[in-house]
Amino acid sequence: MTNPTSARVLLRPLVRSHLTRILTAAIVAVAFAVGSLATAQGTEGGTLVWLGHQEVAGLGPNDIGPDVQAAVIFNILNPLVHVNHLTETELVLARSYDVAEDGLTYTFELHEGVLFHDGSELTADDVKYTFEFYAQPGNTVASRFNGMREVEVVDRYTVRVHMDTVNASFLRRAAEVPIVPAAYHAEVGDDGFRTAPIGTGAFRLDDWRPAQFTELVAFPEHFRGAPLVDRLRLEVVPEASVRYIALLTGDAHGTVWPLSVEDSLELDEDPDFRMVATNWNSPRFIPLNNDVPQLSDARVRQAMLHAIDRQRIIDDLEMGLGVVATSHLAPHNSFYNPDVPLYPYDPERARALLDEAGWTPGPDGIRVKDGQRLSFTATTISGDQQRRPMAELSQIFLREVGVDMQLAEAPVASILQGLREGTLEASLFNWTHGDTTDPSPTSTLYSTGGDNFTRYRNEEMDRLIDQGVALVDPEARRPIYDRTQELYAQDVPALYLHYPQGLLVFSNDMGGLPDEILSSTPLFFRAHEYSVRD
Amino acid sequence: MTSYLTFRILKGAFVVVLISLLTFIVMRVMPGDPVYLLLGDGQIPITDAQIAAIRAKWGLDRPLPEQYLVWGSNLLRGDFGTSLIRPGVPVRHMIFEAIPVTATLNFYAILLAIVVAIPFGIAAAVRRNSIVDYSSNVVSALGIATPNFWLALMLIVVFALYLRWLPPFGLRTWHGYILPVIVIATEEMAVLMRITRGAVLELLPQDFVRTARSKGLSERGVLYRHVVSNTMLPIITVIGFRIAFILSGTIIVETVFALPGIGRLFVDSVLRLDYQVVQSLVVVFAVLVVVVNLLTDMIYALVDPRIRIS
Repeated sequence: MTNPTSARVLLRPLVRSHLTRILTAAIVAVAFAVGSLATAQGTEGGTLVWLGHQEVAGLGPNDIGPDVQAAVIFNILNPLVHVNHLTETELVLARSYDVAEDGLTYTFELHEGVLFHDGSELTADDVKYTFEFYAQPGNTVASRFNGMREVEVVDRYTVRVHMDTVNASFLRRAAEVPIVPAAYHAEVGDDGFRTAPIGTGAFRLDDWRPAQFTELVAFPEHFRGAPLVDRLRLEVVPEASVRYIALLTGDAHGTVWPLSVEDSLELDEDPDFRMVATNWNSPRFIPLNNDVPQLSDARVRQAMLHAIDRQRIIDDLEMGLGVVATSHLAPHNSFYNPDVPLYPYDPERARALLDEAGWTPGPDGIRVKDGQRLSFTATTISGDQQRRPMAELSQIFLREVGVDMQLAEAPVASILQGLREGTLEASLFNWTHGDTTDPSPTSTLYSTGGDNFTRYRNEEMDRLIDQGVALVDPEARRPIYDRTQELYAQDVPALYLHYPQGLLVFSNDMGGLPDEILSSTPLFFRAHEYSVRD
Repeated sequence: MTSYLTFRILKGAFVVVLISLLTFIVMRVMPGDPVYLLLGDGQIPITDAQIAAIRAKWGLDRPLPEQYLVWGSNLLRGDFGTSLIRPGVPVRHMIFEAIPVTATLNFYAILLAIVVAIPFGIAAAVRRNSIVDYSSNVVSALGIATPNFWLALMLIVVFALYLRWLPPFGLRTWHGYILPVIVIATEEMAVLMRITRGAVLELLPQDFVRTARSKGLSERGVLYRHVVSNTMLPIITVIGFRIAFILSGTIIVETVFALPGIGRLFVDSVLRLDYQVVQSLVVVFAVLVVVVNLLTDMIYALVDPRIRIS
């Protein structure tokens, strides 16, 4: 399946100078000389092809973290419920669910007659086994089950979960862990399962070459009906511009991992493609280590937020796609508090706040207090070409008001460890502090939270988080998260810059994509609904 | 000869052990913990006990000397361990799955480079300051100067997007090898062409060439029997050197063309602190460098009777 109309858009984003055009022409000439190699390329009929950027390292419930892996796993395995593309709780293996008023009991009724790929039937025992196995420490998904005491098999198709403590995110996090067949999983072990999974999904695993591609084949006995395509293949293509070309040539129908913003916008203009723009839950932010003396005063951090022209970062570096952050929740979140005051770009106000905090300009323009310079280092991720310019622009803005932010680079694993152990002063990347699944910033803003990168400690915040997770009624939770957002904006533990937009591009040769899309990752969990036009 | 070989092999083994120890130390000194990567982004609460359990599962909680000895003794038995990031998959399987891809790419690239570069290099030297010489100079300068990242993308644009002759990425058919081989061969070709030209130019004014000519040999006979055979030493040195440093040349090409070779596996593993894979790969490459160096020295003796191995 080739795409004849794409030739007209082909070279625009890549060929920008005369020199490049001349060299390209030379290569074309050489190409004609070796014309005998010509072969028609295209996808096989009935194969849906998506592109990821990194290898699919494993195929079990412990691997659902990275989007590229989830896009494959959730078509092989199914959970009880999903948080879908409209951020709603959608029933999958569960026919219904009931949450007790006190939040301590969850009852799930399963669909009857659901078959695993090996022909065995899904029962409540499989759910019990899955939940109990993956709740054990040592599993990467274990913390989703926090607060769970035991899983009771009521009858063949009914399972009841008893909680020790209320965990408001249980339904949307734990029940989203996909169900494994108990007997098979027990036989092969989790490591064995990750390499040869069997599930209830619309596709079963056919060929898995982690760094190259993962190919699934339709499972006609799937309980929601046989999928429309024969095969689903996820190709690993690390280079964004090659993913863009593969979409144009018809070698792929969609990208799980984005193209460059320029290429996405280019394809958005093309009637053969559809660009899906969704708002991120995680802001681009500069976590500041609040234990570092020069960063420990909230006025200094507030001043820094006033000093950075965040709209300019969006306009200049994100092509205008994104919204300035007001606090720890994104504007599209149903718990978003619109009344939290924004820190407008105001260098004068920033200088006044720094003066008030006792930091006065030194001989080189950098502020000084008691012999200490207002200087710190932000360590960005090695090779992170997208976000590094944001750190550089912020550096210039901060320099204007007398704050010296030095930049360094380190691998992501080093940064995460440094932030968790408090050995880094600052960084710049994205991280969720509550999302549309659950607004609670439990691990990020709680004083003892595992991902409290800023070493933020506020007793009121801890109390609010404890109260929030103990309530399952969204309306009862709302005032609590209104206040957490106010507190976060008041204390400014991190420089929250903006919520970017995620852009994914799909070929119109792929049919069945929903019209309204609020969250893009779950789109990849419904491959059985999509068709491919040859 | 036997004692020389034994000495070289023992020396090589010592080098490999030293390199394995250094790699082990460097990987552990690098700040960072692979466990954090396994947990991923998000705000799911994770306790220290859960992190400790994951570390214990992978043996990361044991003392470093013990970790090294366990890894080293397993390696001697041919057990490379299992990957931290790709759980349950033996490292040996990962490495031996990637080696054929990189080896095939480089085999054809070097072959193509030799077939093109040596005749052109000789022709350029023999017809010095002619159009052949100038064009070989330009071609080799361009070949060395062109970033292979750019060349790879341009070839994809032209052959995959514009002409639709070849796939833009991957190895679903042998066609997938064509563009990456051209990209790798371009640089090899440029280097070899320069070396060959330089070597021939150096030989032409030498006494033995003049002697050969004065014996009445034809120009062609002088060139093939006396000059070309003498250019082999520097050429073999360069080829041996390129094989030993295969990795550096293929990382970018494998990334752009999405090929599951050793270069990509290495970079991905370093970035994710997949200790087992990185350590094992470095040992495999250390062995490769030692073996290629030894082979190069032995081939010297084969092509040049003046060199004796003793």
